[in-house]
Amino acid sequence: MPTSQIIRQNPSYDVLPDFRSLGVLLRTLVSCNAAALVVALMRADNWSGVLRDFVQTGAALQPVLLGCLLALYVLSPALARLSYRRGVAVVLAVVAVIVLAAVEAGGELYISRYEQADLALARYLVGTVGLASALLFYFRLRAIALSPSIYKARVQALQARIRPHFLFNCINTVLSLVRSDPRRAETALEDMSDLFRMAMAQDRELVPLRDEIELSRRYLALEKLRLGDRLQFHWHQAEIPDDAMVPALILQPLLENAVYHGIEPLPDGGVIDVLLERKGGSIQIDVSNPNSKPAYRRRGNKLALGNIRERLDLLFDIEAQYRVDEAADYYRVRILMPYVKEEPS
Amino acid sequence: MNYVELPLTVFVVDDEAPARTRLKELLADCNSQLPLEVIGEASNGVEALEKLAELQPDVVLIDIRMPQMDGIELARHLRKLPDPPAIIFTTAYDAYAVKAFELHAIDYLLKPIRLGRLFDALTHARKAVPPTIEVLQELLPEPRKNLSIHERGRVILIPIEEVLFLRAEQKYVTVHTEDREYLIEEALSMLEKEHAARFVRIHRNCLVAKDAIEGFEKVTDPENGESHWTVKIKGLAERLPISRRQQFIVKSFK
Repeated sequence: MPTSQIIRQNPSYDVLPDFRSLGVLLRTLVSCNAAALVVALMRADNWSGVLRDFVQTGAALQPVLLGCLLALYVLSPALARLSYRRGVAVVLAVVAVIVLAAVEAGGELYISRYEQADLALARYLVGTVGLASALLFYFRLRAIALSPSIYKARVQALQARIRPHFLFNCINTVLSLVRSDPRRAETALEDMSDLFRMAMAQDRELVPLRDEIELSRRYLALEKLRLGDRLQFHWHQAEIPDDAMVPALILQPLLENAVYHGIEPLPDGGVIDVLLERKGGSIQIDVSNPNSKPAYRRRGNKLALGNIRERLDLLFDIEAQYRVDEAADYYRVRILMPYVKEEPS
Repeated sequence: MNYVELPLTVFVVDDEAPARTRLKELLADCNSQLPLEVIGEASNGVEALEKLAELQPDVVLIDIRMPQMDGIELARHLRKLPDPPAIIFTTAYDAYAVKAFELHAIDYLLKPIRLGRLFDALTHARKAVPPTIEVLQELLPEPRKNLSIHERGRVILIPIEEVLFLRAEQKYVTVHTEDREYLIEEALSMLEKEHAARFVRIHRNCLVAKDAIEGFEKVTDPENGESHWTVKIKGLAERLPISRRQQFIVKSFK
């Protein structure tokens, strides 16, 4: 299970890839096998030769590859504590050691009796360490390429959060309560200031899920004041661990979207269903709202949803899922993301 | 003898209860300097039209963003009344509308509404010229959800999804629904432009709802033996002729 620190909490791209992330594992597997195919294409002189060579190289490659990935998976937390340069050196050393061990154990599979043993060994070492360096270089380039997007997506999330509509709606609601119900006006102002404080203080990508839940509940309380009985919500929460971390502002914009597109266009309002659930190593978030008749439907870009999707991609790569189900009478957004534990401080 | 002006009668339309409360509080504040009376309120456009058939306020305060029928559409329907009230729009944040209001010098109030601005708008309301249908049409970013007619002192709404076809007849357009026909005083070309997504022109004088088209039939004219296409509408026996120039729509629907 990845810890929050590894998932690029640090804006610097001088960090090793997270060797426990599915995306990194898959990319490594695919590119190493692609390299084997290229070698086969260059060495063989006919198509069946290419196939034979690829299978042979593959047989030799897989144990080394899997060994390396396994070792790096195990060493991952320790590697994360090293500086980037040392980390790279250790990774390359691990690869070299595993190659040596494989050649030692594999015998004929790696060095046939017709070739000079030390030349073959040198070839393996240069090839694998070279490939590993290339991959590390690729992951670093990728991090450099993505880091402005991560920053941009975060800024956009913040901007989207402070929607003028929402601010003015809140102020109006409070003003309407000031004379008739000063106590509720006070509570509303307190909720509002908490909400804006939490929303503006986001300087980290991941925040505790409990904070995001709190923020969302305050948001709904404010909207409830404004919309009255038109806004109903059912909140289901199952086995949500206390230390779960989620990307900042992941739930509240979904709710805002549900209110704006699902509740406000309906004269009699409707119900928003929120489901938070832990499913093994994942956290699932479901938000569904009534889908209004096309005639009542509001125009409006799905900017907020696009932003959530983008941040999930950037933060969790292929480990997060984002799905929208739409039917005649409901609209549901479902997010599945890895359960990231809070670092004990 | 002193001339006593009758109090200004005001009607409030907003879908949010707190917003109506706030507005009524402010109106009460105005009362000391400008005699006025809040004679009713509604939480949506349909309800407003129903109540306004009985009441005849001097001023209607209308929120722009409302479910089902937005404020600008409501204002358009209100223009059908024999003695339409003055309209003051209210909005929390609507860059598009605000720009258009400025352009056409239409009264609007930004929420949160300030007492002073409300007072000014109300003082001018009696003299204000209500916005014309053309201007309101321009302000409406989306097609109306209803057409409307004035009948015996009230505005009758014809939901646009119930309209099967529209036919121009001299000065009027007849609106055909499953149950009945209505005469409206609007130009077919404007309706075509406004509801381009819903209707298709089959003839110089006829627009048909795309959803209502059941099929096409070729009909031979008994007099000259020429044949032409007609549209068959769901639930109607009448076949509507397609003009020569619009024959291509038969293909585009197949």
